[in-house]
Amino acid sequence: MTLAEKKQQVVEEFSMYDEWLDKYEYLIELGKALDAYPEEEKTEEKLIKGCQSRVWLDGETKDGKLYFRADSDAIITKGIISLLISVYSGRTPEEIAADDFGFVNEIGLRENLSPTRANGLVSMIETIKKMAQDAVSKAPAVLTAEDVAALQPLYADVILALKQVYDPEIPVNIYDLGLIYELNIDKDRKVSILMTFTAPNCPMADEVMHEVEESVKRVPGVTGCTIELTFEPVWDRSMLSEEARVELGMDYEEDDYGKLS
Amino acid sequence: MTVQEIRSRFPILDRRVWGKPLVYLDNAATAQRPLAVLEKERALALDANANIHRAVHRLAVDATEEYEKTRDAVRDFLSAGSREEIVFTSGTTMSINLVASCFGEAFVGEGDEIIVSVAEHHSNIVPWQLLCSRKKAVLKVLEIDEFGVLQADSLEKLISQRTKIIAISHISNVLGLVNPVQEIVRMAHAHGIPVLVDGAQGSVHEKVDVRELDCDFYAFSGHKVYGPTGTGVLYGKKKWLEAMPPYMGGGEMIETVSFSGTSYAPVPGKFEAGTQNFNAVPALQEALALAQVFKTDPEVIENQKNITEYLLDALTNNPRIHLYGVPRGTVQKVPLFSFSVEGAHQEDLALILDKMGIAARSGQMCAEPLMDRFCVTGMLRVSFAPYNTMEEAEYFVSSLNKAISMLV
Repeated sequence: MTLAEKKQQVVEEFSMYDEWLDKYEYLIELGKALDAYPEEEKTEEKLIKGCQSRVWLDGETKDGKLYFRADSDAIITKGIISLLISVYSGRTPEEIAADDFGFVNEIGLRENLSPTRANGLVSMIETIKKMAQDAVSKAPAVLTAEDVAALQPLYADVILALKQVYDPEIPVNIYDLGLIYELNIDKDRKVSILMTFTAPNCPMADEVMHEVEESVKRVPGVTGCTIELTFEPVWDRSMLSEEARVELGMDYEEDDYGKLS
Repeated sequence: MTVQEIRSRFPILDRRVWGKPLVYLDNAATAQRPLAVLEKERALALDANANIHRAVHRLAVDATEEYEKTRDAVRDFLSAGSREEIVFTSGTTMSINLVASCFGEAFVGEGDEIIVSVAEHHSNIVPWQLLCSRKKAVLKVLEIDEFGVLQADSLEKLISQRTKIIAISHISNVLGLVNPVQEIVRMAHAHGIPVLVDGAQGSVHEKVDVRELDCDFYAFSGHKVYGPTGTGVLYGKKKWLEAMPPYMGGGEMIETVSFSGTSYAPVPGKFEAGTQNFNAVPALQEALALAQVFKTDPEVIENQKNITEYLLDALTNNPRIHLYGVPRGTVQKVPLFSFSVEGAHQEDLALILDKMGIAARSGQMCAEPLMDRFCVTGMLRVSFAPYNTMEEAEYFVSSLNKAISMLV
């Protein structure tokens, strides 16, 4: 279930209860069902400030995903934290860090709790966010073998898309021309490209880059594309692909062929 | 005065919370204000809003008169000897800080001792701790027994040659037990030690006669006796007030000011620096008059007594409930109950009660040392005022039972 779907599910579940006491009953059940948290890990360090009751929250990253554990001495608080965990545990740090936690307002939790409790709720959310942000900055997109395998077809599609863009002056596509220095696709299927041009003063550079971006973005599955331009190292003909050499009829005469521009 | 007559004077009691009639049981934190108090404040703002004590114009004269009339009303409320012994403050906390600061400045030195009880709220602990750290003095603590009853007998052992002042609450805001302050004052005075009585709760529930009590200082807050927030009183025996240096410097507390030296106004002006809370203070007249009626009206007393007995019974006969502050012997209990419930966190209980319309207090009640004394992280407290009915008390008990059954 995606984060959005899960949040929607929680909102719908909550809306089934008209009475606040029933919502509390539901939270109490959630609290009681929360996985046990080891007593010895209830340390000052894991304690969240700003709650009238005590809340311990811990998170760990496994296979690029954040998993939370928590406990509280008050059961309704425990239910609330359980709710947050059910929504956010097992998601990528990026996803959590980018979330606005707005569904908490949607189910009316924030305004229906006493300000002291709401402070605790805010502190819990802040702690979860902080853990996600820390995880993002610490471990930028670790790809597992499965991730790499899953991304293979997308690489092929993106390369195909790059091959649709032609150099404005040479009748060879930019990929075979060797203008693409780096091509990366991250776990969120965002494409990042490091590219160059045959000469630093290419007047068509902006148009070509725009065309590259548009072409890549049109590939089904791609969620975004960023392009960085570099002239380090400077392009030279050794970067031409086999196909390009054939295309240009220069396989055996490369020494005689002048620098393309 | 019937409870319905009383209720009709407090408009807020008609409101509903979460669709249920409001049952306000957090009176020890702040009491509700009757219309008369609210109207007095409003009338002054509309009719006589001027800074007091300074100008000669009509508004200033009216405002000053109302303010000073209140000093007389407070004198009467406390049965003090003279109006000069009444200092207006922002509340109990400021009153105690004033004494800790000014009495401490004049009379406490390195190695001297101050005695408080373990049942004090933070306002009667921290000012003394600050003084102790400033003067390298020592804070000593009078204990309570497991029922919450102050061990006044052991005071004699705590008192030494170095004891400079004893600060004790009239009634603990957690335990609701009336402390034997008169006896404490007698013991202290036998050693020549002055006593400050923290009357934040005592002024609400007990008749206060500072001359009979013979205490040296008595502090209380306006908002707990149905008055405006930001008003408070420090009663101090004239001999002490005169011997103490000023608390804050500023307008109105001076006699003459020059850079070669400033002389101060006579008491109580010396302790009332700067612009006073002149719209709110006069409303204390209405508040104190009503508080006095509440403390003397037989019907009110009877109702409060019945509620106290009913709750004592309900809260001591449930094996799951642990009540802190159980009266024994001659010790009196006011309708203020702090307790914990086995298996149910106080905050969960307060949250559920809130949705049933009941305002109860959960937490440490600004008395962490007392929480530590009973080895709890917090308690649930309900405190009743004369506008609370027996039906509300019964509704509270049944709601509490329902909340407990939800949680355990």
